[in-house]
Amino acid sequence: MTAHAHGDDLEHEEDDRGGASDEHMAHLGTYALGLVLATGLTIASFWVAKTHLIYDPGVPMALATLAVAQMGIHLVFFLHLTTAPDNTNNILALAFGLLIVGLVIFGSVWIMDHLNHNMMPMQQIMQMQR
Amino acid sequence: MLGKLSWSAIPFDQPIPLIAGAVVVLLMLGALALVLAKGWMPYLWKEWITSVDHKRLGIMYVLLGLLMLLRGFIDAIMMRAQQAVAYHAQGYLPPEHYNQVFSAHGTIMVLFAAMPLVIGLMNFVVPLQLGVRDVAFPTLNSVSFWLTATGALLVNISLVVGEFARTGWLPYPPLSELRYSPGVGVDYYLWAVQISGIGTLLTGINFVTTILKIRAPGMTYMRMPMFSWTALASCLLILAAFPVLTATLAMLTLDRYLGFHFFTNEAGGNAMMFMNLIWAWGHPEVYILVLPAFGIYSEVISTFSGKPLFGYRSMVAATLFICVVSFMTWLHHFFTMGAGGDVNAAFGISTSIIAVGTGVKIYNWLFTMYGGRIRFTTPMLWSMGFLTTFITGGLTGVLLAVPPADFILHNSMFLVAHFHHVIVAGVVFALLAGIEFWWPKAFGYRLHEGWGKATFWFSIVGFYVTFMPMYVVGILGMTRRLQHYDVAEWHWWLQISSVGVLILIVAAGCQVAQLLVSYIRREELKDITGDPWNGRTLEWVTTSPPPVYNFAVLPQVIDTEYYWELKQRAFEQARLSEEPKYEAIEMPRNSPTGFVCAFFATIIGFALIWHIWWLMIVGLIGAYATFVVFAWRDVPEYMIPADEVAQQDRARRAARQHILNTGEVAWQ
Ligand code: HEM
Ligand SMILES: [Cu+2]
Repeated sequence: MTAHAHGDDLEHEEDDRGGASDEHMAHLGTYALGLVLATGLTIASFWVAKTHLIYDPGVPMALATLAVAQMGIHLVFFLHLTTAPDNTNNILALAFGLLIVGLVIFGSVWIMDHLNHNMMPMQQIMQMQR
Repeated sequence: MLGKLSWSAIPFDQPIPLIAGAVVVLLMLGALALVLAKGWMPYLWKEWITSVDHKRLGIMYVLLGLLMLLRGFIDAIMMRAQQAVAYHAQGYLPPEHYNQVFSAHGTIMVLFAAMPLVIGLMNFVVPLQLGVRDVAFPTLNSVSFWLTATGALLVNISLVVGEFARTGWLPYPPLSELRYSPGVGVDYYLWAVQISGIGTLLTGINFVTTILKIRAPGMTYMRMPMFSWTALASCLLILAAFPVLTATLAMLTLDRYLGFHFFTNEAGGNAMMFMNLIWAWGHPEVYILVLPAFGIYSEVISTFSGKPLFGYRSMVAATLFICVVSFMTWLHHFFTMGAGGDVNAAFGISTSIIAVGTGVKIYNWLFTMYGGRIRFTTPMLWSMGFLTTFITGGLTGVLLAVPPADFILHNSMFLVAHFHHVIVAGVVFALLAGIEFWWPKAFGYRLHEGWGKATFWFSIVGFYVTFMPMYVVGILGMTRRLQHYDVAEWHWWLQISSVGVLILIVAAGCQVAQLLVSYIRREELKDITGDPWNGRTLEWVTTSPPPVYNFAVLPQVIDTEYYWELKQRAFEQARLSEEPKYEAIEMPRNSPTGFVCAFFATIIGFALIWHIWWLMIVGLIGAYATFVVFAWRDVPEYMIPADEVAQQDRARRAARQHILNTGEVAWQ
């Protein structure tokens, strides 16, 4: 952990490290690969939505899987998430994010499901209002 | 041409908002005229408005927060006055106006008073405590501040142009939908909160990055002062929770502007989803406020007890525990909506569990004081007042967390008493303690103790007299947000509560007097050494006020409470450490980006509220152009030569050496 006057230095640091031009090319390579994979997954999801090769009720599942894969690609190729030791903060941040998103989504689905279940059918409410 | 805006938007027939608005506008014009006449404008522009210095931004945040606290307090006085007289009568505020007052009060107090104050103290203190020169993204910091100011401005514009929401501080649909709130009130709310919400989110990003990545050499996580820890936890919560708020309000906006049906009654909308989502933000939000407050108490109590914080590690653990668990309790705000026994029980239990983390902290503070040599300064009084009030405030929360009890107390005055108990005596007391504590660091002189103590005593008495009767009327069956009533039993209690507000007005007067008196007598209250309280953390190493670059040489931290150790050593050996080698320091240049962005954001917000589409486009283009200009600037930094740094730091060292030589320590 080093000290900097401010964040622009963080960027300089990155720049310095990847300064050599062949490293830039390597960067470009990963970006290109990421782009290809991401595009592939996007096309695949359009295809899944239209095709009849997949059992119809399974389509949402397939789309969700593709979406998760898409996020993975973005994290690895564009946000450069790795398991290297200098990446602990990023991994922790991701874990925290996933935990919170998981809690909110799971909680909301659970709550809304029970709420809807306990709601009187609409007709009954209408009748009570008469 | 002007969308929905016309002369009828100005409430010529309603004297109260019109006069209030006119007074505010006159005051602002007067201040502006004074600034221009005295030729202060260039100074203000160069040194403050365009400043990207975290200390200046912190001070401006606190100023904004204090002004809004005053505005919210005036709303509160109006409500208490109304309920004191509206027994078997209509009182002086018609319902549609009363509804705006309580909505504006809640919105302003939480989002435009408490939040700027918390973020302001974070801005000022965290980089100093971490022993660094600035935050990770200084210009972004200025953007955050000015966007928050935009939100506050929009809320205040609604006083004279149009109206504010009548829906409460959380605009529950279907009432907040276009069908039932066709006016611009809810739109003012939405855009004010959205724009300032972006500012808050940016602050969260900025401070998480700062605390994780930029600390003095040797400042490991477990050597970070408690306030910085709580700031980190609070900013993590901001990162996680504010997007939920933004998305939820965006959905309501789509409903209102483009005819969507997320939360409407018809076409498959579901209003219950709004309650669910808004509280998924709302509960973490109260911890965003209260965690830094806990941090302030930790610093104050440890400093004025002359002891390290008891159970530092358990305090860190409790903070992080609260940070996560606060995302598992939100349903307790709508137990009565009917999710059923299973769900209610689960959330009731998780809510009670969160009180355990808070309980741990209370014991830590008590044990920090135990055996210490306590100095009863004003910040310490606020902290001790908090310790007594917060225990009961938390307990009423635990009571509300029991679903069967909540079915009786939900939306009653009992609830109102609960959250004021924890927010006023928890958060606001902390903020006042923090301002008192760090004021000498910011301005170079201490605040007057006598007036400070008067403020404290009037506040705590006023607090009890105002809010305890609310528990009683709540149990007597009074619901919240009543414009008038005809139950005799409530009447007396509400009048007592109004007396409490009178006491609080005296307290506010004492607070203002304290600031004035201290300013006038600043020479005799001067803080020469930069360490007025015998402090323990790194912010007290540097001068008061600190130079722009904070530290001439970054401290090399080798210990928890490193500064304290350093100071003890200096006293033992009666000399300072060796003079360091000074180097030139690179600092970020000031930039008007934040101010200009916020200027356009105000235009965009106003145009959206009044459906003036061409103006919105102008604003968007302006904001984008600002960003492009900023991105293209090529000299982002300037250098402070080593000589200048050396000269300033030698003066600081001389002041400290003087203490060591003479043994004169004027610690309060
Ligand atoms: C110590 C643990 C706490 C517990 C167990 C607790 C519990 C609760 C519960 C169950 C409610 C909902 C009651 C109802 O609507 O019927 C509530 C409301 C509220 N609490 Fe707490 N609370 C605690 C601490 C806090 C703190 C520290 C704050 C703020 C800093 C806070 C701020 C609020 C607010 C603002 C509301 C009501 C908002 C509204 O309905 O408009 N609470 N609390
Ligand atoms: Cu809550």
